[in-house]
This record gives sequence, C-alpha cells and structure tokens, in this order.
Amino acid sequence: MTLPSRWASQIAALGALLASALILGWWFGAAGWWLAGASLLYVVFTLRHLYWLDRALDGHRRVPLFETRGLWAEVFARVEKLRAKARNRKKKYHRLLREVRESTGALSDGGIILNSDHEIMWFNRAASNLLGLDQATDIGHRIDNLLRYPDFVAYLKQPTGEGITVASPRRETGWLHVQIIPYGTDQRLAIIRDVTNEKNVERTRRDFVANASHELRSPLTVISGYLEALGEGGDVPEAWRVPVAEMQRQAERMTRILRDLIELTRLESADAVADHDFVDVVGMLKPIAQEFEGKQGPTVELALETDAALLGKESELHSIFYNLVNNAVRFTPPGGSVRLVWRAAGDSAVFEVVDTGIGIAEEQIPRVTERFYRVDPGRSRASGGTGLGLAIVKHALQRHEGQLTITSREGKGSTFSCRFPKERVVFRSDAVSAVL
Amino acid sequence: MEVEDLGHHISRRFNEDLERVRNMVLSMGGLVEEQLERAIKALSEGNSQLGLQVAEDDVKVNRMEVSIDEECSRILATRAPTAGDLRLVIAIIKTITDLERIGDEAEKIGVLAARLATVERPSTNYRELRNLARHVKQMVHGALNAFARLDTKGALDVVKADNAVDEEYESIYRQSITFMMEDPRTITRILDMTWMARALERIGDHAKNICEYVIFMVHGKDVRHIGVENIEAEVEQGARRLESRT
Repeated sequence: MTLPSRWASQIAALGALLASALILGWWFGAAGWWLAGASLLYVVFTLRHLYWLDRALDGHRRVPLFETRGLWAEVFARVEKLRAKARNRKKKYHRLLREVRESTGALSDGGIILNSDHEIMWFNRAASNLLGLDQATDIGHRIDNLLRYPDFVAYLKQPTGEGITVASPRRETGWLHVQIIPYGTDQRLAIIRDVTNEKNVERTRRDFVANASHELRSPLTVISGYLEALGEGGDVPEAWRVPVAEMQRQAERMTRILRDLIELTRLESADAVADHDFVDVVGMLKPIAQEFEGKQGPTVELALETDAALLGKESELHSIFYNLVNNAVRFTPPGGSVRLVWRAAGDSAVFEVVDTGIGIAEEQIPRVTERFYRVDPGRSRASGGTGLGLAIVKHALQRHEGQLTITSREGKGSTFSCRFPKERVVFRSDAVSAVL
Repeated sequence: MEVEDLGHHISRRFNEDLERVRNMVLSMGGLVEEQLERAIKALSEGNSQLGLQVAEDDVKVNRMEVSIDEECSRILATRAPTAGDLRLVIAIIKTITDLERIGDEAEKIGVLAARLATVERPSTNYRELRNLARHVKQMVHGALNAFARLDTKGALDVVKADNAVDEEYESIYRQSITFMMEDPRTITRILDMTWMARALERIGDHAKNICEYVIFMVHGKDVRHIGVENIEAEVEQGARRLESRT
C-alpha cells in the first residue's frame, strides 16, 4: 500500500516533531513531559484545522490557511473545489429550471400539476388564462373545487380515454379539452387545450351535412316518384326500359344514403348517452332474421341463448342489429351462412353476427367503421350498401356504452360482436324474481 | 379563520371530515351550476326535452343536500367543533339550503322553458332574459369560487352584482306589463317570461346569501341585512385583521 505524498509528509512531520521532542527531552532530562507536550501541540494544531474545516463545510467562505502545502492545505483545496462544483451545478439547475418554467409558461396549452388528492401543485400561464386560476391564491386548492363540472369531476376520479371537453369557465361560448396524464408516483398532469375552433368547425360540418341531406331529400322524392310512375306504366320505349329501371335503383340507393347520413348526424349531435328504455331484444331480432331469411343468398340462422333485454333507445338498437345483419348478408355469397347469436357473457350480454363471407384483411379492420370506407370499392357498391352502416353501428353502440369487436379472416368469414355492459342488461330471470 | 387553518388540526380524521364535506358542497354547487346552464340552454334553443330533463334531474340536487346535511349533523354530534370549524359547518348547512333553492329555481326555469318552446318565439329570442341569465350564472359561479377560495373580496363583488340583477329584473317586469297591454294575446307567454325572470332574480339572491356565509365563515361577522356599504367595511376590516395577525 502506498500512501499519498501529502500523508507521507504529514506522518514524516509528526515523526520529526516527536523525535526532536524525544531528543530534547532526553537532553534536558524530562523525556516524558517533552513527548506529552509535543503531542498536545500536535493535537491543538489538528483540532484548529478541524475547526476551520467544520466552518468551511458550514459554508463560510473565508478560511485562513496556515499552510500552503501539505495535508491540510490540500484538504481545504479539495473542499473548496467540491463547493465550487456544487455551486456551479446549482447555478446550472437554476438556469435550467428557469428555462423550463419560461418555456412551459409560453406554451399555448395549459398545464396543471396535481397531486394524488387532486390538489393544484403548479400551473402555467396558459392554464391560468384558460381556467381563470390565480397564481397567488389557488396553489394547494383542489382542482375540482374550482372546476366543478360534474362531468369533469367524474373524469378526474377515473381519467380514462381521450380526455373530456367542457365549457370554458371564462368565455361564454368557449370550449376546453382537458386530458389528465398520470406520471411519477401519484402525480398527474392536466393538459388544457382551447378547442372552441375545432368545436365550431365540427358543428358547422355536422350542420352542413344535416342540412344538405334534408335539402336533397325533397327533390329526390319527386324524381323517385316520377321514375316509379314511368317504370310501372307500360308506355316506355323498349330502349329506355333498362335505363329507367337502373335510374330507379340508383335513386333508391341515394335515398338510403341520405337516410343513413341523417341518422348518423342525429346520433352525433344527440347527448352522449342514450336513454334507458326497456327494449325487448328477442322480439326485435326475430323479425330482422325473418326479413333476411326469405331472400336469396346465405342462410340466416338465429340462436337465442338468453332472453335478456336491454335498457336503451329502441330505434338505435334496431339500427345496430339491422345494419350488422345487413352487412353480413351482403358480404356472404349464396350457399354461405350467417349466424346471429344473442348470449349472456357473465353480467354483460353479447350480440354476435358470424358469417362465412369474404372476410376483411387484418389491416383494414380498424378502418371499416369509418364512413364511406370501402374494403373493396367495386364489390360493396354492387352489393347496394351505403357505406355508412358500420359507422352508424359504432356511434349508436357508443351511446349505449357498448363495445364493437371485429375478428375476421380473409376468405373465411367475419365475426362482429357487440358487448353491452351490465348496467344496460336486464336478465328476465332477474326481472321475474324482482317482481316476486 | 385563515385559509391555512383548514390544514392544522390535532385530529387528522377531523380535518379530513371537514375537507370532505366542503368538497361535497362544491360538487353539489357544480351540479347546480350545470342544472342552471342547461335550463337556460333549453330556453335559448327552444329545447323542451332538455327543459323537462332539467326538471327531472333536480332530485339529484335534493339527494346531495340530504347527504351533506347528514354529514354535517354527524360532524356536529361526534366532533363538537368550535370557533372557525363551527362557523364552517354552520356556513355549509346554510349554503346547501340556498344551493338547493337555486336547484329548485333551475327546475322551474326548465319547466317554463319547455312550455315556452311550444309557443311562438319573439324575434329577439328572449334576449333580455338571456342577459339576465348570464349575469345570474356569473353570480352563482363567483359565489362558489369565493366559497372554494374563502375569498371575501370575490364574495363582496357578487354581493354588489346583485343590485344590477335586481334592476334588470325590474326592467323586464315593466317591459312585460307594456307588452301585455299592447297585445293581450301574448299574456300567457309574457307571464311565463316574467316568472322565469323572477326565478333568475331569486337565484341571484341565493348566490348573494352564499357570499354572506363566506364572509361569516372567514371573518366571523354576520353581514346579513346591513347593506352593501357596511358589508364592504366589514370585509376590509376583516382583511386588515387577518393581515396584522400574519
């Protein structure tokens, strides 16, 4: 083991001190006293330096140094170096913190940091502008005491999904989108965005589609009426017979598209949650199955494994079931089969349409519920669909807190299953026992 | 009572109880605000279904009032609060009564809006009513904010705003009389409008009451029926006292 030179010199100095004390003591004849005196001197010397070291560590700047070389000088130099390093680091962090503060302050989106009790820990300038928070008084207050929308409070307790849109507390017709992101241990970041423009654009779009559909419907009714009269009356020249029939078919298709568009805009603009009327699903599925059974094409089979009823809006549920069956029948060639299953799955209930049709490629599954999305443009138009059926299903199902799952294998067939949550399902056996 | 006092208690459970019941009041306030908002929306959009829905949802407000009331009784019985805590509980008991009344008035507005939606609308689409409603809504919002922040200055602003609302109500009232004399066929509709203005004016009064409880809770001074100037003096005096103490 090699000692650093500063230690070696210190030990050498101590050795020299003791040795000279010993020699002098021996010379004057009181070696013990001389040795003790020298040791005491050394202890005092060391204690004094320790005292200054302690002061230096306490943060005193000016520490007198008695030596310019040797152990203590080096120790002090190193302490000073460490302190300088810490000072620099602190300065750096301060600068960094200030920069972060400034940049988050300049963001146009509001940010609020919340702790596990929903108390506000910090927020930026945009948040105080958007929500009317006050930097001086509102830190430490619970956010749901200041932002009291019942929807927001419910979301705050269970922040799931894409966030929530609430009316602006400061602007009469403003809208804010709030999303809460949990991070760290028990911390949450709430991001607030002004979505007034998006909301307005969305509304304009919806109003336009709704108005356009309504306006187009009346002239179309007139055209369809005359076409029908032409088709039924026998006095159409032979050459025009086929074109008139085709025009009639296309006019019908246009009517269906308009009807679906109106239905879709109605679903979008209605309240987020559908009513809770009692709907007899069994009674609803039977006529739907019968309607498709008679036609040429695949066989339609209805399997009622439960007699559960749903709490929802009758017309929308009918639209969900009808569109799914219609969709399956159209994409299943004659000779194939379409099976409709209504079954219980634990507390919830599931409606399933299993077909042996052409199937959907996996990468296209997420897109089939978009409006006017065509898996295979040529084929689906020929089959007479409007391109809106599944979009309607998705929206109507959302309003019933339901979930649509699609599984499919190309060439083998697809399964569309709608799961309704237990709050929406009434099992008859329960109903009977409740009455008894 | 200072704002910080809420956080300094020997019994942590007591603290949590007080804090919880305060939060319940504010979420009840949020519900009432939403009811009012929807009732007014029903009027301005002529949406009778929404109006009736508001009337139906009033039971939620009532249910919350009952449960907060029970919670307060429980705190009074088991914790025997004193001083600032007692004032807090008393203020809460009074506040929820006023909130519940605001809910009732919102219910009335909802029913009236549903009825007005079925008759012909004036060309102004009830502009003066919507204006009054906007002011009243701001008062309720301000009152609840003052309650949440224990902010007596904010409370004072709301108390001051009540005079403007009363004047607005007065002018709608006079206008209604003129309309009814001009064209007796509109009497039914105008009467409904007047009732609605009356309900809004009452909501303003309830919001003012809540603010008075906030001042009572923070400064320990009962400021009912003493006039705006005196309330202002009390608030300033109370604020000075708080400042000198810290």
